[in-house]
Amino acid sequence: MVERRVGDKVIRLIQGDITDMEVDAFVFDLTADCKLGSGYGGAIATRGGKAVQDQLGAVGTLPTGEAVVTTGGNLKAKFVIHVNGPKFHEPDTAGKLARSVQAALRRADEKGLAALAFPPIGTGLYQVPLDLCAKVLLETVGTHLGGRTSLKEVLFVALDSREYAPFAKAMNGGN
Amino acid sequence: MSSNETTYKIQVMREILAKKLTRPVVGSLVGCVHCGMCNDACHYVITHPDDPKMTPSYKADQLRKLFKYNFDWTGKAFPWWVGAKEPISDADLDALKDIAFGTCTNCRRCTLNCPMGVDTATLNRLMRGLLSAVGVMPEGVRVVSKDQWEIGNQMGVLKEDYLDTIEWMSDELVNEVGDPNARIQIDKPGCDVIYTINPREAKYDPRTIAAAAKIFWAAGESWTMPSEGWDQTNFGLFSGDDQLGGAAAKRVYEKMKGLDAKLLVISECGHGYRSTRCEGPNWAGIDQDWNMESSVFTMLRYLKEGRIKVDPTKLGKRVTYHDSCNLARSCGITEEPRELLRAVTTDFVEMTPNRAENYCCTGGGGAMSMSEYTPRRLRSAKVKADQIVATGAKVVVTSCHNCVDGLSDLIKHYKLGCEVKQLVDLVADALVIEECAVMKKPKVVVEMPKPALPLHGRRILVVDDEPDVRTFLRTVLEDAGAEVSEAADGDQAIAAARAGKPDMITLDLSMQGKDGIEAFAELRSDPGTRDIPVCVVTGHPEFRKVIYSRAVPPPEGYMDKPVRDEELVDNLRRIFELRNHKAHA
Repeated sequence: MVERRVGDKVIRLIQGDITDMEVDAFVFDLTADCKLGSGYGGAIATRGGKAVQDQLGAVGTLPTGEAVVTTGGNLKAKFVIHVNGPKFHEPDTAGKLARSVQAALRRADEKGLAALAFPPIGTGLYQVPLDLCAKVLLETVGTHLGGRTSLKEVLFVALDSREYAPFAKAMNGGN
Repeated sequence: MSSNETTYKIQVMREILAKKLTRPVVGSLVGCVHCGMCNDACHYVITHPDDPKMTPSYKADQLRKLFKYNFDWTGKAFPWWVGAKEPISDADLDALKDIAFGTCTNCRRCTLNCPMGVDTATLNRLMRGLLSAVGVMPEGVRVVSKDQWEIGNQMGVLKEDYLDTIEWMSDELVNEVGDPNARIQIDKPGCDVIYTINPREAKYDPRTIAAAAKIFWAAGESWTMPSEGWDQTNFGLFSGDDQLGGAAAKRVYEKMKGLDAKLLVISECGHGYRSTRCEGPNWAGIDQDWNMESSVFTMLRYLKEGRIKVDPTKLGKRVTYHDSCNLARSCGITEEPRELLRAVTTDFVEMTPNRAENYCCTGGGGAMSMSEYTPRRLRSAKVKADQIVATGAKVVVTSCHNCVDGLSDLIKHYKLGCEVKQLVDLVADALVIEECAVMKKPKVVVEMPKPALPLHGRRILVVDDEPDVRTFLRTVLEDAGAEVSEAADGDQAIAAARAGKPDMITLDLSMQGKDGIEAFAELRSDPGTRDIPVCVVTGHPEFRKVIYSRAVPPPEGYMDKPVRDEELVDNLRRIFELRNHKAHA
């Protein structure tokens, strides 16, 4: 496990299945139509029950760079913070990603959460470059933890070694 | 979609194409002389003779236009003459999507029949990759790709469900052969073989897992299955996404290495074999220093080494063999499956043409996931249907899960009245266990409680106000090994649960006296009974909402009457296994 401290707060990098984690909340990269869909969305629907999709149905649409909170249903996590990150080589990928992360952190503060988990947003199907994602997440979360926040711990959760390595490199200062 | 965004997408496609222009790709882009010899090779052309857009050269020309427009001097000097052109609108991109995904299964039969060596399938895959990179793809491709990226397998099978299925198949096998050593070992380090499967097996056809396990057991193999990195299939081959290809393959390789297994055996799957054995190391950018083989080779080796013996008369039906495109054309595997098939059957007849010239099952290239193209796919399947009918076979054998689905679909559509099997099914069914290696090994006596009825030793309280129903449930559950007690209403149920602490309660909802809904709330509110799993068995499905809306944890199971005996046993067994799994997680 790799760690980086920001004052009395901590960022940790771990490997695992983010939808099966016992945290206050984890972040899910949603599409604009607020449908959970497949992948992590399918896992949320299966493990969490229909409560999550029902709450998203009431939201309707989610513009890029914004975030919305639902309960976790039967998931181990209490809440899911849904963002709509950049998809498929969009212009201004880094900016859209940073705004999505900031929005998720704001929602976590509004709920007074202490622990929040992020996946490498958009780095699979949506082809956001992993090194860019690691850099943006680390910088954005680091800045946020340096200010006033309820968060004590932010987890970056990599699914496999492909995702883990660039995040570890970024957290170790690029070495 | 604004035109600016479309322009940006096309710019991205242009940049990616520039990086993909390897010598073989450029050779195929410039080598076509439009002689038309590929036309007779393509099942889409044969079944759509009046549609020039079905010709392989037309499909590949879509990429050639883009290439010539941006990279080739002829396109820059005489664009009107050589047809150099770029897509300019979303409609253009959609049209390209329909061509690349909806009119070609990347079967490579045209490639094999091209006198110029043009690999049209490679060009088509490249076009798919360019489109996928900007989000232009059929919905099914998007869904399946995301499952493989984020869950680790193409069908989104969650880890607990996969492990549950393996346990289930283990139970079945141990019961069948009466040997506790037949149990499938998960993540056992240092084995000679690690066995990887297609997620279709875990989700829809777990009998093939049990069949393979039976063969490994009979051969006395030291083998294991991984808890992760078990999906040997790879949707990156179909979507054209090399990054997905590399990521999926790497998960399999890393798990194998982590468990220090000596040989990676790939279950019968054409594109899975090609992806894992041939393309994966390149996509993943790693040097291959380990051994991999198709399970066809493994089974054949066991036969030749005398580790398994088979009785070829067991099937008693005429069989034919369908060559998977990826195995036969792309990987050269044509003779080994036939050798194995001849060993386990007595009436094998070839279809014509066969081997590398065989026609596609029409379900390849991810076609089964793209429902919008189903009518066209089934029309193109007429070629394969005619091949099968001409053999007179009652069983079509193939070494590919994709082909099983493609063939099953066309057999149903054309009402051919035959079944599809894989070699693993035939070999497992033909085993003569008494003469296999496992019977020649010194017996290891394992102390086991009496086997393994699915609910062996479970104490189950059956709650229902109808005596006939209680008797039925008692009979079914006792036959499955459970110890059963009964209660006829809610009050009796609560008293029996408090006194006897059963392992499970089956609960009717509509009963005289205290009904099941009230009883459930009380059971869940009492610290002494709240952890007892409850499976509701009711004739009132409309009560589902009522019971799930209570401010207590929901029941672990919910079944509508009438229940079938196997369904009841299976549901209760799964509830127990899930609790065990959670308890040990």
